Amino acid sequence: MVTQINQQELQKIVKAVPMLSPSASRLLQITANPDHDLVEVVNLVKTDANLTARVLKVINSAAFGMANQITSIDRAIAYLGERIIISIAIGDSAGKLFGKELSGYEAAGGDLWKHDLRAAIAAREVVAQSGLDISTELAFTAGLLHDIGKALISDYLQGSVTEAVALISQEEQPHDYLAAEKKLVGFDHTEAGYELAKAWQLPDELAEVIRYHHEPARANEEYRALVYAVHLGDNIAMMGGFGTGADSMRYKLDPGYVNYIKLSPNTLENIMLTVDMEFEKLEESFSDSGEKN
Amino acid sequence: MGQIILGVGDYGASNAPGDDIKTFALGSCVSVIFLDPKTRAVGMAHIALPDSSINKAKATEKPGYFADTAIPALLELMAKSGCDKRGKGMVVKLCGGANVMDTNDTFQIGKRNALAIKKILWSFGMGAIAEDLGGNFSRTVSISVSAGQVTLSSPGKPNWQL
Repeated sequence: MVTQINQQELQKIVKAVPMLSPSASRLLQITANPDHDLVEVVNLVKTDANLTARVLKVINSAAFGMANQITSIDRAIAYLGERIIISIAIGDSAGKLFGKELSGYEAAGGDLWKHDLRAAIAAREVVAQSGLDISTELAFTAGLLHDIGKALISDYLQGSVTEAVALISQEEQPHDYLAAEKKLVGFDHTEAGYELAKAWQLPDELAEVIRYHHEPARANEEYRALVYAVHLGDNIAMMGGFGTGADSMRYKLDPGYVNYIKLSPNTLENIMLTVDMEFEKLEESFSDSGEKN
Repeated sequence: MGQIILGVGDYGASNAPGDDIKTFALGSCVSVIFLDPKTRAVGMAHIALPDSSINKAKATEKPGYFADTAIPALLELMAKSGCDKRGKGMVVKLCGGANVMDTNDTFQIGKRNALAIKKILWSFGMGAIAEDLGGNFSRTVSISVSAGQVTLSSPGKPNWQL
């Protein structure tokens, strides 16, 4: 049954979500700083025995095809890159939320994580292949987190899919899925996600992406290029067949991205291909190493 | 008797009654379906991009990924069950190729996929008799070998036939 959420209830929902682990939280803080050094990441991972073990499992999984067993965490992190360390830390710390079945969108368990991972890879590639002057690793992290609000409102959207699609298809006042969510339960997934971002004390740039990834023109100008990169990454993930159920492809693409990001059709096709290849490898490495997601 | 599931860039064919060929969540990807009335064989490719020139290595490894390599590969596969090598007499159906709500051409990959596929089909003297392309929603498609029936589904919509 579809249930309206009020502000008070939204706060309750957010409070019920477990906090990120201290190391995941700290990792997001460190890596959001454009002047940070990889050494800071290494030092942080070293303080967390569980995370260290996970990272070593991933690098030694078949997907990376290492000739020799890697036992040094320094080497593992240098090889894998920050983005994979962050994926592991988030997956460990909030795996339940990301792995949740989104029944309100008719998406299976694990679909949200797959969509997020693909949006993350795509956002990173958009930055890298368009030569945008922002951190590729931050674009990845932001992509990973952008849709977290869906896990919060999905239960309240239970049974709403036919109505949501009908709202979108009506001719006089066509909605996108965001507007449909808002009409049906009172909040859309970006608003709900933003509340969680505040509760988790995420860095501003990540909170801004979560809040405005469907309306990048409304984002704080300081972070707008990053928000546009994730906006495109999100759309690329959906185009590639990895949405989160009923809402897939049912959003507006803001053509204003051209003021920040130069993309030719050819580059976009290259990005889509890279996303497919990178995703396969990442998924394999996580599943080989016993990551739940 | 079984279900053949195709991922992105896969292609497959069967003439075993009772088999189904299915592919999930076509976004901008296009599914090309061949039905051969003579041999009762059916085939499908899940095509992701229009042109293999962007990555020849990928095209060799996964010819079903690109329009220009998928169609010859699917024809070749179906020829093994006695179908005409150039697809003579083959019934063609197309579905997928959705586009996000966009006013900018760059992101119309669904449209470019469909166009590229039609061009390749024309070069073989083939053309689609039915298509369900475009729009801004994702489609899951399956075909049963015995009935030759193509069924589409999308969350929030009743299933439909093509």
